[in-house]
Amino acid sequence: MAKHKNYDGLARVFDFFRQGDMRRWGDAQKNLFQRMQGKVLHIGVGTGMEVINFPPGLDITGIDLSPQMLKRALLRAEQYQGKIRFCLMNSESLAFPDNTFDTIVTVCVFCTVTHPVAGLQECRRVLKPGGKLLMFEHVMSKNLVYGLSLKFMSLFTEALEGTHLDRDTVANVRKAGFKVQSEQNVYLDIVKAIEGVKQPV
Amino acid sequence: MNFKVIDLLIGTCSGAIIAFAVSQIIPAHWNMFLAMAVGGVIGMVLKFMLLILLAPFFGAFEVMIPVSLIAMMVGMLSGMGAAQGSVPVECIVAVGGVLGFTVALLIYFSNKKLLRST
Repeated sequence: MAKHKNYDGLARVFDFFRQGDMRRWGDAQKNLFQRMQGKVLHIGVGTGMEVINFPPGLDITGIDLSPQMLKRALLRAEQYQGKIRFCLMNSESLAFPDNTFDTIVTVCVFCTVTHPVAGLQECRRVLKPGGKLLMFEHVMSKNLVYGLSLKFMSLFTEALEGTHLDRDTVANVRKAGFKVQSEQNVYLDIVKAIEGVKQPV
Repeated sequence: MNFKVIDLLIGTCSGAIIAFAVSQIIPAHWNMFLAMAVGGVIGMVLKFMLLILLAPFFGAFEVMIPVSLIAMMVGMLSGMGAAQGSVPVECIVAVGGVLGFTVALLIYFSNKKLLRST
């Protein structure tokens, strides 16, 4: 089944399963998103749950693979005090010219992207020099005990919904050519707020 | 919502529930090694049920990490306790609860340490 069909199916229950995460991570997300500025690309909008944590007055373009997710996100976008538009698009092939955005935001997206480094390189392409990549992602733990739990659970989440719990996303950000400006733990060393910068050539 | 208290409660209750379930399934006087292995498997099965029930309300990772660690450990120990035949169910459940609480507390301090490190 095509990946977007999976997410279309998930759209109905997505908010229910993410409500706990949103309660836990709301403040940490607001802290990270305060650094958003200028023209913003939000990759993997989902049902738009994070929109309530965005600072007002921004010009945001949100993309997602799933039409059903975007349909639900539209309702949340109506309440945002700023500009938001949505596009049906894959993060691994962005239909934007080079150097378009000042900030790119992702929330729990690069655990599911099929080719994470290629996806991040695509982000780098559309980001202006000096632009920020703000990521709120879960990654593989460096602690052996937590790491083994994540490896084991990853077998099930990959099969069920294509989510990898054992990715080293911070290393992938570096591999894609970003400079990692900050990397803040939100829960253990698993959930992280990451800020990458596209250094001017 | 006070997540510190909730996390400790989730740990304690998960440990107690898994210990109770394992004690009811494993018969007395089973081979100790077999009881330990089957107890661990039952713990893992219950872990998935607890995750589906609790993660939507209290956060996926904040539930998954402690419950994963508690499930196997408590399942194995409770299996051995039940196989002995002489250990009362109340005692097995209490040990499960205490272990669950201890794991949740250790993760709480581990989390505090890791948050300070960045």
